[in-house]
Amino acid sequence: MIDYTGSRARRRTAHYLFVLLIWVICLVYFFPILYMFITSLKHETDVVPPKLFFTPTLENYRTVLLSSDIVSHIVNSAIITLSSMVLCIFLGVPTAYAIVFGKLKKPDSLFFWFLSTTLLPPVAVIIPVFLIFKNLHLLDTRWGMIIMYVGANVPIVIWMVRSFLKDIPAELLEAADIDGATRIRSFFKIVLPLARSGIISSALLVFIFVWNEFFFAINLTYVNASPIPVYMASYMTQEGLFWAKLSAISTVTVLPPLILGWISHKSIVRGLMMGAVKG
Amino acid sequence: MSTRDRRKRDPVNIFALPAVVIVALVTQVPLIVTLILSAIKWIIVRPDLGIRFIGLENYLSVFKDAEFYMVIVNTIVLTVVSLAGCTVLGLALALLLNRKFVGINIARTLMIAPFFVMDAVVGIVWKTLMLHPSFGINGMIAGWLHIKPIDFLGSHSLATIIMLVIWQWTPFFVLVLLSGFESISEEILDSAKVDGAGIWRTIFQIKIPAIASHIEVAVMLGLIFILKVFGIIYVTTSGGPGISSTNLPYLVYRTGFFRWDVGRATAMAVITVILTLVAVTAFFRFTRRKTSEVES
Repeated sequence: MIDYTGSRARRRTAHYLFVLLIWVICLVYFFPILYMFITSLKHETDVVPPKLFFTPTLENYRTVLLSSDIVSHIVNSAIITLSSMVLCIFLGVPTAYAIVFGKLKKPDSLFFWFLSTTLLPPVAVIIPVFLIFKNLHLLDTRWGMIIMYVGANVPIVIWMVRSFLKDIPAELLEAADIDGATRIRSFFKIVLPLARSGIISSALLVFIFVWNEFFFAINLTYVNASPIPVYMASYMTQEGLFWAKLSAISTVTVLPPLILGWISHKSIVRGLMMGAVKG
Repeated sequence: MSTRDRRKRDPVNIFALPAVVIVALVTQVPLIVTLILSAIKWIIVRPDLGIRFIGLENYLSVFKDAEFYMVIVNTIVLTVVSLAGCTVLGLALALLLNRKFVGINIARTLMIAPFFVMDAVVGIVWKTLMLHPSFGINGMIAGWLHIKPIDFLGSHSLATIIMLVIWQWTPFFVLVLLSGFESISEEILDSAKVDGAGIWRTIFQIKIPAIASHIEVAVMLGLIFILKVFGIIYVTTSGGPGISSTNLPYLVYRTGFFRWDVGRATAMAVITVILTLVAVTAFFRFTRRKTSEVES
């Protein structure tokens, strides 16, 4: 340790100043979200102009959660997001397994093909998808949205899970082969438990992406199947003056991905980095 | 059993089939259809004009359109400035947050939150609560300072969109870069201290070079996502005033779903794909040359 008693006090002060600075920056950065939450607790009459002191109320949340219109859009979001997430895992994890441990002719080119599809901007497919969906009566249906989201997000699962599978030594599977276990059996017995954290973090990432997705949702749904972002955009144009209610819906909408993100951001970043370094 | 037989029989290969099918259906098939549609004249709301093959005419008319070049410039400005802003701000904030004190986890939690907020809500909250010239925080601060509130979404639409994108994406950079800073071993930092390296030298000559791969990953993923920004523009400015805040995705959307000009919209979509590929390839080239320079 190179530390002199004389400078210790000065360092202490510097440290506390830094801590203070960090808190101020973080609070300023978070302020729009905080202010949204605060506004959601106000009566509409206290919103404009911004009042600092007010009697908090849960009235807006009651209005929001009792509105069958809003609830039905949240239900749409939940069904579409959860189904897409589960399907992405069911399709993506076995594919990653086949790429790493299967006997594919060119596993790497298959992998890079999946990866390259994530570069494709959504506008490159939207017009044909719209026309095809119209003819197949998939427009404004939950199934239509689920198909789009699975196709768009399976590559992310494959990408993240593959890097976790690559960490499993091949000898482990060969030993299982000798014991007479089939590759399908060893998939469930050995591979799944070892890749668990990778699978979970990719599932959460898919949940966050799908729940927040806007482009496909606004172009492929209208009323029946539209998830909550679409509703919010239309509410904004029709009843944009009710800021307290707008804030309450926004808070409810933002909460699921925010909580998942707070819980899992470390494992998501680890998964992303592993996928990138072993790309 | 020869490898060939095993390959044929291995049931594991079938595992990959469903994913291949659905990804091809959602990405490859529509992309091919987009290419085909870009060679025809077809305006859905003008059935009297019919549908006919016109070759490259859509592309030629797009390239003659001054508006299209402005939108390309908007897209490049939006992407480059946002990425630069996210990288600089992300590095600064990650360096600040890379220390230990009581409550650091709560501070980090607040910092990373905007990344998980959906585009629609980012747009709504900023347009109304924050930036509204009369009733938002913008108007309040202007009142305190006795100045006219800034007309963010009117007079500075593209700059404001960039600001919102940076607000939303910097937390992602902080997350990735912070994980990099945390992986630097104490020994390296201690030996730098022993060598008498000051704070700035430690940051620029040791810490930042040590997380080069993390910076690359953050910028790469940021590039892919910021090129397709759409929701924030849709909710806040609708690309306006005029086309001042329109980027390529928004232009394709407007051409396709307002003018219903299928041929023109798909031609623009194809150009968007090409520009995306050029940007990503250029980025890969750039980073690869840098790494090989370091190695040699």
